[in-house]
Amino acid sequence: MRRRRIYNPLTELLAAVLLVVLVLVVNRWEFSLAVLVLVVVPAVVSSGRPRQIGLAVAVVAGPLLLSSLLLHGLFYPEGSTVLADLGPARVTAEGLSFAALMGLRMSVFTGVLLTAAMTLEVPELLATMTHRGWNRKLVFVVGSAVGLIPHVALRARQITRAQQARGLVVGRGPLARLRALLTVTTPLVIGLLVDASERNHMLGARGFSSTVARTSYLPDTDTPGQRIARRVMLAVTAVFSTAWLILPVVTG
Amino acid sequence: MISIESTSFAYDDGAPLLVGVTLAVQPGEYVVVAGASASGKTTLARLLAGQTGADAGAVFRGAVTLDGETIRFDGAPTDPRIDPAAWSARVGFVAQGAWGQLSMMSASVGEEIAFGPSNLGVPTDQLRSLVADVAAALTLTPLLNHDPRRLSGGQLQRTVIAAAMAQRPAVLVLDEPFQGLDDDSAQDVADALEVLRGAGTAIVVCEPMLPRAAPEGARVLALADGRPVFDGLLTDARGAGLRRYGIGTAGDPPRLDPASDPTGPHGRELVTLRGVGFSYPSGRRGDDRSACLAGVDLSLHAGEIVALRGSNGSGKSTLLQHLNGLCRADAGSVSLAGVPILRQPTGALAACVGFLFQDTDQQLFERTVLREVSYGPFAAGHRRDDAVRRASEALERVGLGALEEAHPYELGFVQRRLVALASIIATGPAVWALDEPTAGLDDPARTLLAALVTAHARGGGAVVLATHDEAFARAVAHRSVRLEGGRIMPEDHPSV
Repeated sequence: MRRRRIYNPLTELLAAVLLVVLVLVVNRWEFSLAVLVLVVVPAVVSSGRPRQIGLAVAVVAGPLLLSSLLLHGLFYPEGSTVLADLGPARVTAEGLSFAALMGLRMSVFTGVLLTAAMTLEVPELLATMTHRGWNRKLVFVVGSAVGLIPHVALRARQITRAQQARGLVVGRGPLARLRALLTVTTPLVIGLLVDASERNHMLGARGFSSTVARTSYLPDTDTPGQRIARRVMLAVTAVFSTAWLILPVVTG
Repeated sequence: MISIESTSFAYDDGAPLLVGVTLAVQPGEYVVVAGASASGKTTLARLLAGQTGADAGAVFRGAVTLDGETIRFDGAPTDPRIDPAAWSARVGFVAQGAWGQLSMMSASVGEEIAFGPSNLGVPTDQLRSLVADVAAALTLTPLLNHDPRRLSGGQLQRTVIAAAMAQRPAVLVLDEPFQGLDDDSAQDVADALEVLRGAGTAIVVCEPMLPRAAPEGARVLALADGRPVFDGLLTDARGAGLRRYGIGTAGDPPRLDPASDPTGPHGRELVTLRGVGFSYPSGRRGDDRSACLAGVDLSLHAGEIVALRGSNGSGKSTLLQHLNGLCRADAGSVSLAGVPILRQPTGALAACVGFLFQDTDQQLFERTVLREVSYGPFAAGHRRDDAVRRASEALERVGLGALEEAHPYELGFVQRRLVALASIIATGPAVWALDEPTAGLDDPARTLLAALVTAHARGGGAVVLATHDEAFARAVAHRSVRLEGGRIMPEDHPSV
C-alpha cells in the first residue's frame, strides 16, 4: 500500500535535495550514518514499496560501494596504518575508513534520491510548479523527462515485436539479448527523434509557446505553510552550509 | 474566416504542390479536402494550421488570411513567421498519428485534454468543466483518469481530437480523424464535430476518400498531384468522376479484376486454433481488459481469405497475434500446417506467417526501404543477395520500385503501409495476418491491396484480416468471423 501523503511533492523533493547538499557539506561519517539510520531507512521502510526501492538502491549503490571498497581499501596512497600487506596492494586503516565514509555518502545519496524519485507524485509536482508560476519550459522538461522513460520502454518493446514478427530470433543467453538490444537501438533513436520533431510542431499547435501564465487542470494542493517551510529550509541550509564551510577557514 | 491562396508549395526543391489552390472556409462550414496519397492534402492542412514549413526548408508562395488579416509569403527567407501560440488560439489542428501529438507530460486523459487551454491560461475551475463537457461528447468520461499512453488506438484518437476541441477554436482542421475508428467511435467523433459546428466552428477534414456521410451542405475540395480537380458540394462530388484521380468513396467495394476472383479454400489446413484462451497480465493493456480471448476455434485452409470483424477492443488484434507467436495461448492450441506453436521463438515463425501491424510505424525500423524489405527474407535464411532480389521484386509488385533508397520515414502514410506489405511478400510466408490493412489507404492502394490479397490466396496462401472495412471484407473474403468480447459469434454472412 502507498503511504499517505503528508507533504506536497515539491516540499519532499526539496527536502531530499537539501539533505544531499548537507551530507556533501558536512563531510563526516557520523553525520552520514545518522542521516542513513534516522532518515533514509525509515523513509524507505515507510514508503509503501520498500522492496522495489531497496532493490533499486542495491543495483545503483552496490557496484559503487564495491569499487570504492576495492579502490580505497587496497590502494589508498595516504594510508599509513597497514593492516595487511598484499604486495602491490595494502589494506590500510585510513583507506578503509575513507571507503566507509564514501560508501555511507553514496548510500545516503542513492537512498534519498531514489526514494524521492520512486514515490514522487509527478502529476501533483507538475501541477504545483505550474500553480506557483514556474517557467513552463522547465515544467515541461521535468514532466517529459519522467514521461519519456515509459514511452521509450514501450517503443523499444514495439520495435522488438516488429523485428520478431519479421524473423528476428531473440535467444535466451545474455549475449543474444545484448545483440537484440543493439538491433533495437537505431530504429528506437530515429523514431524518437522523428517523434520529437513532430511533437515540437504539435506543441506549437496546442499553444505551448504562448506567453500568458499557464494554468493547471489539477487543483493546487500546496499550502501557504509549506511554501514558508520550503523557504525556511532553503535559507537554513544556505546559512548553515556557508557557516560550516567558512568558519574553519576564518578561525584558521 | 480563414482562407488560403496558394501559388505553390515545395519541400526541399521537390515537385511543387498546391499549385493554384484556393480555399475559403466560413464559420459553421464543413469542408472535406479529399485526395489520394501525395495529393497535397496534409500540406494544405498544415498550412491552415499555420505551419508553413519554413523551419524545415519548405518554400511556400501565396497568402493566408485569418479573421480579415492577410499574411503574404513569397518563398523568401524574409517571409513573415506565423506565431504558433496566437494562431492556435483561433485554429485547432489534429494531425495524423495520435502518438506524436501527446504532450508527454500528462499522466491522465483529463490533463491531456486540458493541455491546450491550460497553455492559453484558462483558469483551473473552467478547465475542469471544459474537459468534462468535451469528454462527455466523445464518451471519454470513464477514461479521464487513465494514462493516455496506455489507451487503445481508437481511444487515443478520440483523446487527441478532444484535446483540439477543448481549445474551442474558431476553425478546426483534422487530418484523417476517422482512421482506425470503429463505426461507433467514428459516429461519436462526427456527432461531437456537429455540436462544434452548430456553435459556429468551421470544420476542415482531410480524407483519402469522399466520406460516406457528412453534414448537409458539406463542401469538397478535391486534390490530385497537388492541383485542385474539384470544388463544390459533396453531393455533386460523388458524380464528378473523381475516381480517375484516385479518389473513391469510403464504403465502396474495391475494384477487383474479374479474372482475379478468389477461388476459395482448396487445400490443406494451414492454421488451426482449438479452444484458444488468453488474457493479458494485469496492467499490460491498462483499461483494455476486454482484449482477451475465450474458447476461440478457427481454421484456415490454403486458398482461403477470412475477415475478422468486431468493434475496437473485441480481441481481433490479440487473435491475429496468436498466429505468429507474438501472443501465446493460455489455454487450447494453435497449429501452423499441423505443427503446434509451443516454445518456438516468434522470429522462427516469421517464415510461415507474415504480420502487418495496425500501426505501420511500429513495423519499420531500417535505414532504407530496400534494407527494410530485405530484412525479412534475410532473417528467414536467404542469402543476402537473394534477399535483396526478393525485396526488389516485392517493391515492384506494390509499385514502389523507384523508392528503394528512400528512408521509410520520408514516405507518406500509404507508401509506408505498402513497404510493410512488401516486406511480407518478400519473405514469402504462406499465411498473411493483416491488422486493419485498409485503414488510411487511398483508393488505388486499397485496390492494389485487394489484388495482392486475392492473388496470394489463388497461389495457395491463406489470409486472415482484421478490419472495420465491411465493403473490402465482402469483396475479398470467403467468409467473415465476428469477435465480441474475445469470443467468436456465429457467422454473420457466408459470402461469395
